[in-house]
Amino acid sequence: MNSIQSKAALAVLLFLTLSAVSSRAQMASNRDADTAAIKQFVANFADTWNSHDAHGVAMHYVEDGDFSSIKAEPSHGRKELEDHYNTIFTTFLKNAHTTDTVRSIRFLAPDLASVDIDWLVTDPAAPGGVLRKGLLTWILSKRNGQWMIVIYHEQSF
Amino acid sequence: MISSRLKMALAVSLFLAFSTALAWAQMPSKMDADSAAIRQCVAAWEDAWNRHDAHATAAAYVQDGEFSSTTGVPSRGSKELEAHYNEIFTTFLKDAHRTDTVRSIRFLTPEIASVDIDWQMTGARTRDGKDAPNRKGLLTWVVTKQSSGQWMITIYHESVF
Repeated sequence: MNSIQSKAALAVLLFLTLSAVSSRAQMASNRDADTAAIKQFVANFADTWNSHDAHGVAMHYVEDGDFSSIKAEPSHGRKELEDHYNTIFTTFLKNAHTTDTVRSIRFLAPDLASVDIDWLVTDPAAPGGVLRKGLLTWILSKRNGQWMIVIYHEQSF
Repeated sequence: MISSRLKMALAVSLFLAFSTALAWAQMPSKMDADSAAIRQCVAAWEDAWNRHDAHATAAAYVQDGEFSSTTGVPSRGSKELEAHYNEIFTTFLKDAHRTDTVRSIRFLTPEIASVDIDWQMTGARTRDGKDAPNRKGLLTWVVTKQSSGQWMITIYHESVF
């Protein structure tokens, strides 16, 4: 290999190394941005829930989103979801307040994540002020740059 | 000339229409095969659990699989998972038997699915060795298809009610 060929090979190697490093850095930074966006989404969900806005909460789901209650009673799709939230916000949860704290996020694909959220629902009338506590386990999907709930499960303990 | 162009265009359109129809027809059949494979994964896991085989139960998870108990206590990775199953199979669940029934499967991508499974358990004991009431609840899993074609547990959550 002559000197020009060696230089060319070195240049290609350097270019490939730099590209790989830059692509890894880009991936990590995208993931950080998505992690922050997911946390913001969860906070926004809790705010909407706390204003007892059934329509607003249902709009956090994709059109054919799935909800399952602590007793595994399902609601599917925005209409059923809004009806469900309307029922709870006008009956047994009408004075309730939720505090949702993201415990962990696992990316299943760049636009698909599983999120575990520690969950505490309080109500001044409940014994000790606590109505429920447990874990929310969501599957989120990024649609047009916005993270949304595809599947919502909750467990109480 | 025009006629031969038209014929060519018609042939291409027909080919595309058939290809699309074929792809559409194949999609449900692939999904059916994957649904069957996922049900098989659940049945094999249930069987390993009922044999109280901690290694086989943990082996149904991917290498960095995640388990979370009914009270949200986590175990992660093959080693921790096997230790967890060893612990429950030699203590309060040593005489327990479970029944798992797939309730629904939702494909998130062709290789990732969410599975809801109704579960019931008999023969459980309390942590201090007394008979515990029969338990039931919902398992909610994320399963992923491996390059071997096998479906495995990536995330396991369970609730009791």
